[in-house]
This record gives sequence, structure tokens and C-alpha cells, in this order.
Amino acid sequence: MTGCMGCARQTVGLVAVSMTTLVPPSYAQVDPYEIMDRVDQLYRGESSHGTSTMEVVTENWDRQMTMELWSLGNDFSLVRIQAPAREAGTATLKADRDIYNYLPKVDRTIKIPASMMGGSWMGSHFTNDDLVQESRLVDDYNIDLSFDGDRDGTVVWEFTLIPKAEAAVVWGRIEYEVRQADYMPLGVRYYDEDGELARTMEFSDFVTLGGRTVPRLMMMRPADKPGEHTSMRYEDLEFDVEDLDESFFSLRTLQRRR
Amino acid sequence: MSQSPWARIGMRNLGRHPKRTLLTAMGLAVGFFASVVLVGWSQGLVNQMVENSTSLLGGQLEIHDAEFLPERSLYDTIGGRDGVDLDQLLTRATSDVRVVAAAPRVYAGGLVSSGNSTVAGMLMGVDPEREVALSRFLDVLTAGRLPRPGQNELVVGTEMARQLETEIGGELVVVAPAADGSMGNDLFTLVGTYRTGLGEIDSAFAVLPVEDLQALVVLSAGRVHEIAVSTQDPWVAEEVALAVTTAVDGDVLEAEVVPWTELNPALVEYARLASSMYGVILVIVFGLAMFGVANTMLMATYERRREFAVMLAVGTTPWGVVLSVLYEALALGLFALVLGVVMTAPVMIWWHNAPPDLTGLVGEIEMMGSVVSLTMQVEYDVNFAVMTAAALLATAVVAAFYPAVRASRVPPADILSGL
Amino acid sequence: MTRPDSSSHIGVILALALRNLRRQVRRTALTATALILGAGLLVFSNAIGDGTHEQWIDDGVRNGSGHVTIEHPAFRMSQKLEDRLGAEVRAATVAALATEGLVDRVTGVSEQLTISGMASSAAGARPAQILGVNPEAEAAFTTIDEQVIEGRYLKSDDRLAAYVGVGLMDQLDLRLGSRLVLTGQDAEQEIAGQLVRVVGVFRNGAPSVDQRVIHIPLGIAAEWLGTGDDVSNIAVMVADSTEVSGLVSRLREALAGPVDAGLATVLGWREAMPALAAMVVVDEYGNYFVFGILFIIIGFGIVNTVLMSVLHRQREFGVLQALGLTPRQTGAVVFAEGLLLTAVSTLVGVGLGVGMTWYFFGDGLDMTALAGDAMANVDLAGVVMDPIVVPMFSVVRTVQMLGWMMLLGVLASVYPAVRATRIDVCESMKFDR
Repeated sequence: MTGCMGCARQTVGLVAVSMTTLVPPSYAQVDPYEIMDRVDQLYRGESSHGTSTMEVVTENWDRQMTMELWSLGNDFSLVRIQAPAREAGTATLKADRDIYNYLPKVDRTIKIPASMMGGSWMGSHFTNDDLVQESRLVDDYNIDLSFDGDRDGTVVWEFTLIPKAEAAVVWGRIEYEVRQADYMPLGVRYYDEDGELARTMEFSDFVTLGGRTVPRLMMMRPADKPGEHTSMRYEDLEFDVEDLDESFFSLRTLQRRR
Repeated sequence: MSQSPWARIGMRNLGRHPKRTLLTAMGLAVGFFASVVLVGWSQGLVNQMVENSTSLLGGQLEIHDAEFLPERSLYDTIGGRDGVDLDQLLTRATSDVRVVAAAPRVYAGGLVSSGNSTVAGMLMGVDPEREVALSRFLDVLTAGRLPRPGQNELVVGTEMARQLETEIGGELVVVAPAADGSMGNDLFTLVGTYRTGLGEIDSAFAVLPVEDLQALVVLSAGRVHEIAVSTQDPWVAEEVALAVTTAVDGDVLEAEVVPWTELNPALVEYARLASSMYGVILVIVFGLAMFGVANTMLMATYERRREFAVMLAVGTTPWGVVLSVLYEALALGLFALVLGVVMTAPVMIWWHNAPPDLTGLVGEIEMMGSVVSLTMQVEYDVNFAVMTAAALLATAVVAAFYPAVRASRVPPADILSGL
Repeated sequence: MTRPDSSSHIGVILALALRNLRRQVRRTALTATALILGAGLLVFSNAIGDGTHEQWIDDGVRNGSGHVTIEHPAFRMSQKLEDRLGAEVRAATVAALATEGLVDRVTGVSEQLTISGMASSAAGARPAQILGVNPEAEAAFTTIDEQVIEGRYLKSDDRLAAYVGVGLMDQLDLRLGSRLVLTGQDAEQEIAGQLVRVVGVFRNGAPSVDQRVIHIPLGIAAEWLGTGDDVSNIAVMVADSTEVSGLVSRLREALAGPVDAGLATVLGWREAMPALAAMVVVDEYGNYFVFGILFIIIGFGIVNTVLMSVLHRQREFGVLQALGLTPRQTGAVVFAEGLLLTAVSTLVGVGLGVGMTWYFFGDGLDMTALAGDAMANVDLAGVVMDPIVVPMFSVVRTVQMLGWMMLLGVLASVYPAVRATRIDVCESMKFDR
């Protein structure tokens, strides 16, 4: 899923923001606001295109799917299933906060109503809501640096995200672990307000794709169902795709079979 | 001394004042009629409610996997992931003579969409032939016909059809999470609509053949969520449940057989409430009637005080006099009973088999989650009829007791001398 | 022979009638007792019946849409946010309810913004029916606030507060103070989220309510959904249900503009909740049937008594007729007897009935004495029955009862009176009675 792209962007953004808080006031020559803006500029208009395999393991079944993905900034993304053949052509379009599913077998597009937003996306452990929420992390949370040092042989930062006063999010706390050397995300832990771990996301297999270092493998594990997980593995990825603009992310593109 | 003279005297007295006897007896007979008919009607109403709510969507019993309720998960099919031999299970479920029919059900939550409207609903896979023998909601479709297997045909409630802004022949998209994790989806044609009168059913359930739903949500042929079973009489459901559990090897299958009394305890409570009122009715009705009888007996004893005086004078014991009066009362009661039965029986039979329909007056009524139409349907309750008859006779006798005692205290000499 | 004038005729007739009644004390007393009890019972059960219905209606409308509801014409069927009352219509309605003629009849007003959406927590998500309400007005109106089992109902200074059913609490693994995110489609058809926190938990008994209904403050709902001052519906309570049709017509007049423009409709509870209305009607018919039967029984009693008195006083009537009482007058005497008996007994009986009604008026009659615990969970047309019934006194009903009883007395006395006119003077004097 495009989560990876979002994560990569976010971690750099987070680092940029919190770096400013690390600088003692007397050395504060860099305006945090300016840094945020520059970070924003850096990734605005950034587009990506790639393919990945998703595997979902639950107590009732296992599934593997191959999919093709496009994204533009934080607001637009399109995912189309390539395999298995039975589901090829099924696609999801996210445009701002709306999600549309296209079902090739019946040749219909359904806009996901509010009451289905809590439902799982493509049967995975990600919800439709997750697709929408990921782009709002910086808006909804206050970010603090909670750990800076060595963990299991890697020098990492840990950022703790606490929801802002009226943010419409269900998590009580999110912890992001980032590798200091190359700003790669290592993992995210989602907690409810009582401090109970609800789910964990892990990033691994760092390689170069499309000219950048990215974690190829993302794994989401729910805390209450130990045997289950959803994993996403990027096969290939390219950035700054030519001619990829907002008009691509339309219902018409959604309904194309290939 | 034989008692028959008192009986004869008593009966003769009745004959002497036919109008009075008739009037008094009518009071009692009407009481009998009212009680039996009212209770019959109340029971008819309760039975209607029970029948309706237990046979509307299903049967009086349900067989599920032990884990199925209350979450109703798609994966908790009878016999777990391996499913069951459906034919065998159905045969076993219907083996008990008290079982009328059994039918399989598959349930899946999903979206039904037509044009721009999308409705979230419950997809219900049924065997149309077996279903019609079991439940009633598909018996009279408001339009169209039942779905045929393998044709992607669907029947929905009138409210859902309205929300979807579609009609017979319309194309529907059905999407439901499947048991293998994929998103089951397919096109269906609307071939019929049903109406129960209950909004929450008419807007929620979309009915299609079992095989079609199994295909949509990727469940193998032996996997169903429920076997609905109907019994002849809703009130034997609990016993039959036990019998069926044994018949289908419930323990081995890890399945449970649940009677409607467990699924709908509020309905049981209502039935109990209704029957608790019957006693009250008897008391009120016969309490009032008692006065009429007392009055009559008082009159009767007064006018025959001479006769009693004579009886006492020739040696009858006071108790004998009392008895004669009581016999008279009893005879009156019996006569009233006969009258009452003559009045009541035809009406009961008529209203049991061809009850007048008052639906025109008030429309349908929703009570306890079922829709009842207001008819004068009555149920026979022999126990209650017997109780009422006993109450009637008791009223007659008790009402006569005081007059009888007074009659026995008549001072013979004074009366006979003309006072 | 001079004819006495008619006024003394009546006097004589009445005197004779009264004397006859007094002479057969036991008989008169017995019949009178039956009549008194009968009349008392009828008045009292009418009052209890009416009281029961009033309670059903009260419970039903408090938890439904009030005795009178003002809403968008399409709202009842669709229950959608887009079918709501605009701010101007809302203001007009509130103003109309505050006018002189109406303000003292209205006992409660509840304004609600309704949306079907989703409630989610860290543990999952469930569909929910979310109602934005004015906490104080709502608490006075509905009974859901009394079903609280933990925490409290909303307060007027609450902002991000939610009142949630126990079913939803379990499904989403919540407790007091937990975060809850509500998601729904706002006024612009966009999906919007809102944070609230659980301040209270209720148990209603009906799973569809316990698992789905959430109350939040109206202000927050409006902010979340961008609906400004609009509401979905305005529900109005009055002191008793007999005032409903008057209120409906007044409101329809006052809101003629919006109603004609198709922006609003005014519904009485019978239209808004037809199932409840039907149930009340059915119960009333059932009661009428019982009353009818009781009348018949009492009727027989009266006929019996009066007839017997006629048949027993043949000699006496014979003598009276020989002295100049015409057959018609004889009949009148008998008729007067029956009527007097009925009238006095009925009045006493009605008095008794009213007295019993008065007695139970304060605390109500606890029906559990009759019916046991069976009443606790009964639900009729979505309304759970409360075993304590306060009888409802109605002048109209009581006068009706009086009327029917008098009619009964009249009818029951006719045959005996007619019989009395047919007495053969000579024959009757032959007998020694």
C-alpha cells in the first residue's frame, strides 16, 4: 500500500520538526515553521508508481495478492489488483477523504459509506479509515522526541505522537521508531488510551528502489489476534512519475481494467 | 332418608316460574359466554403473536453451531469449517413426528446497490421450496416470484426495494465480504418483493437461493449457518428441541438446538401475563352474576315460605330445607350451563374456523416484534371452559346459600298461621 | 270524580315506587349492591384503562417523536441528514411554540439532529445512530437518561461528551472516559470524523438501542456535520394526549409557509407512531367488549328484580287499579321503580368508582399484584410496560357511564312495566299475594 510512501515522507517530516526542538534556543537559527514548510515543499507534488504483493493471514484463511499502485502527494492514491486472476481489475481510489471501490466482475463502482469506513480494506488488517487517516498524522498529533539512542544495535529516534485535544482519532498514543542513519522508519506501535498495545507495524528489508532507500517489507500485526498479520512487499517502485497528475486519479481511471 | 325428594322439589320449583328461571339463568349463561369467548379471544391473540413471530422468518427451533450466537460470524457454520452433509442433517432434524419442516439458512452481511442507492443489509440464503413449508414471509409475495437457483435472482423486502428505488426486473449489485477474505460481488436480478409489515425486516433482508449465496461468499455446499425447524405447536418447542438435539448428534457436531422460548423470552412473558388475567375475569363476571342469582333465590324462598313451613312442620330437618334450596340453585346452574354452552359453542366454533376480520378497523398491529391482524380468532381452552362451568355452578350454589339458610329458619307455626 | 292534576300523579307514582323499593329491603339491597359494584367497577376500570393507555402513549412518545413532531416531510422514511429542518423553519417553530395560546400547554420540547454513521474505538468499529440533543431539554423529555447504569447523562455545558448504550460499550471495549470517534457524511456529503468521550452508559433492554444509539450535545453535532442551526426534527410533549389534535392544527397554521413549501410537516403521534395508535385502539375495543358483557349481566339483574317485584305484587296492583290507578300509571310505577333503583345505585356506584380512582391517583395501582413479574419485560409496539398505572379521570367518560347505565335501567324496566300494565284486576285480586 502507499502507506510506505506516506511513512517515508512522514518520518522525514517528523525528524525535521523535532530536530528544531532539539536545537537549544540559543542556537535556534532555523525557524521550525520554515523547516516544516520546506519539508512540505519537498514532498508536495511527489508522485509514485509501483507494484507490490500483499499477504494476509487470519485464523480463517490466507491470501496473496499482487497489485499496482500510484500515489500523488498525501491526498490521492489508486491501487489495482493484478493477481489472483479472479480478482484482477478490482481497484480502490482514494481522493481526499473519499474512497471508491471498483468491482470488475459487476463493472460497478461503490463509494464507501461512512458506516463501512471501519471495515477492512481488501480483507487485510488495514481499514478503509487507515487509508484516509495516514495523511493527517501531522494535523492530528503533537510530536515529541521520546528516545534517542541505541536499540538492539541500531541508533534510533523514537517519536511519541499524542493526539491533539480534539483530534478525531481512536489511538491514545502512537510510537514511531526511526533509524537515525538514514531516516528509515523501523516500526510503529499503536496504543489505545489505556496504554494497551492495539497493533504494530514493522518495516524491514531496506533496499534501493527507484533511486531511493526504502523499506521493502511492511508488516501489520493486530495485538489481540497473535497468529494474524498483513504484510506488504514492494516489488518495484519509481518516483516523480512523469505526467502523473490529479486528473489521473479519477473514477474513469478506476474503472479501467488494466 | 333418600335425598331425591329434595332434588325433585328443587327442580319443580324452577319449572313453576319459567320466566324468572330463564332470566336468572340467562345472567349466568351470558357470564359463561363472555368468559369463555373473552379468554378464547385473548388466547387466540397470544397464539397469533407467538405463531407470527416464531413462524414469520423461521421456525420454532433453530440449530446453530455452538459459537454462532450472538455474533453471527460468517465463519461459524454448523460443523465448523468442514460443514455437514446437509441432506442427512435435514432428514434427521425432521425425524421426530412433532416436527413439521426444516430448512437450511446461510447468512452474510453486505451491501445491495442499485443505480446510485446503496443499502446495507443481511443476505439470507434459503431453499425456496423448503422455506415455504417452514416460514411465512415468502408465502405471499407482494410482487414477482421466488428466486430460482443458479440464475442470480434475488427477493427483497418492499422497504429495501423502495430505498433502492428499484422494481421487479431491476439489476442489483451485491457485495459481501467472502469467507476466503476476498470481496464477494455479483450482479443479481430482482424477481420478487415480500412484505412483513415490520420495517426492520422489510428493509434489511435480501433473500436468494442457498447455493447462490454460498457461491458469492465462497462457502462450500455443506456449510450453512442455521437449520430452522418448525413444530406443530409452538408450546412443545422446548421438548422437541431436546429430541432434535439427540437426533442430529448435537454434541458431536458442537451444535445447539434453541427453541423460540429462549430466543424470545419477552413473548413468553406476555403469554404468561395474558393468562394471569383470566382468573380476574372470572371473578369479576361471576361476582356480578352472583347478585342476580342471590336475588332470585331470595325471592323464591320468600314466596315459598309457607311450603318450607309445612316441610318443617312435618319433620324435615332444617338441613333438608337447605338442601332443597341448594338443589334448586344447582338445577338452575345446570340449566344456565346448558344455555351457556348452547350460546357459546356455535360462536366459538365459528370464530375458531372463520373468524371475522377486524383489520379494516385498525390495520395491522405490531406487538412483541410480530405483526398481528385483528381477527376474532379464538382458541379452544377446555380447561378454562371447565373452570368456568365450575365457577358458574359454584356461583349459583353460593348465591343460594344465604337464602337457603333463611328458608330453613322459617318459624313454621307463625308462617302457617298466616303471617 | 274529579281528576287529580298531573303533578300529584307523578308524586303518587314516585311515592309508590319508593315505598315498594323500601319494602323489599333485601331484594332492593342486593340489586342495588350489584348495580353499585358494577357501576363503580366500570368507572374505575375505565379510569385504569385510560390511565394505562395514557402511559403507553407517554412512554412511546417520550422515546419516539413526542405527542407532536415537526420535521421534514421525507425524514420519517429516509432518516437522512439531508432531510432536515432549516434554521428558519426551526426558529419559526420555536417561536410558534412560545406564543401565548400554546406555551402553557407544552410540557417539553426536544430538538434533535439525527445521523446514521459509525462509531469506532481502538478495538473496532460499529454502525451507530447518533443523536445531537440539548441535554437539559432532552433529559426532561425522554426516559433514556433514567436508564443510566454508569456515569451520567449529558449536561448542558458538555462539549465532547457521549452517552452510549451498554451493547456498544461491550462491542467497542469502552469504559467511562474512553475515546470514541464518530464518522458520518456531513452536510456537504463529505465523510467527517468527530471525537467524543463517554460520560455515561445506559441499558435500555432493546438490543437495537443498546448497540446503536449514541447521544451527543447538539452543538458538537452541528459543528461536526456543518449543519449550522438546522435540526432533523422537533418533538413536542403536552400535558395529556387529548390536547394533541388542537396543537397540531395550531402549529400547522403557524407554520403554513414552510409546510406549503414542502420544507416541513407537522405530525400527531397517531400518524407518527401508527403501531402504538393501533394498539391503544385494540385495547379499547377489548375493554368495550368486557363492559358490554358486564352491562348485559347487570341488565339481566335489573330486569329480574323489577319483573319479580311486578309478579309478586299482582294483588297489590290489582287493588290499586281497582282504586283508580290506570294501567298506564301502574306501568309508570314499575318503570319509576326500576329507574330510581338504577339512578340511585348508579350515582352511588359512580361515586365509589371516582373514589377508588382518587385513591389510586397519587401513587398509582401496582398491577404486579395481579399479574406478578410478568409485566416487567413486556414490549408492545416498542414500548415497555410499566406495572404501575395511574388511573385517569375523565368527566366525559364518567358522564358517558352514567348515561349508559341510565339507559340500561330504562331498557331493563320497560318489559316489566309493560307487564304491569297488563294486570287483570279481577284475576289478581283472587290471589293471596
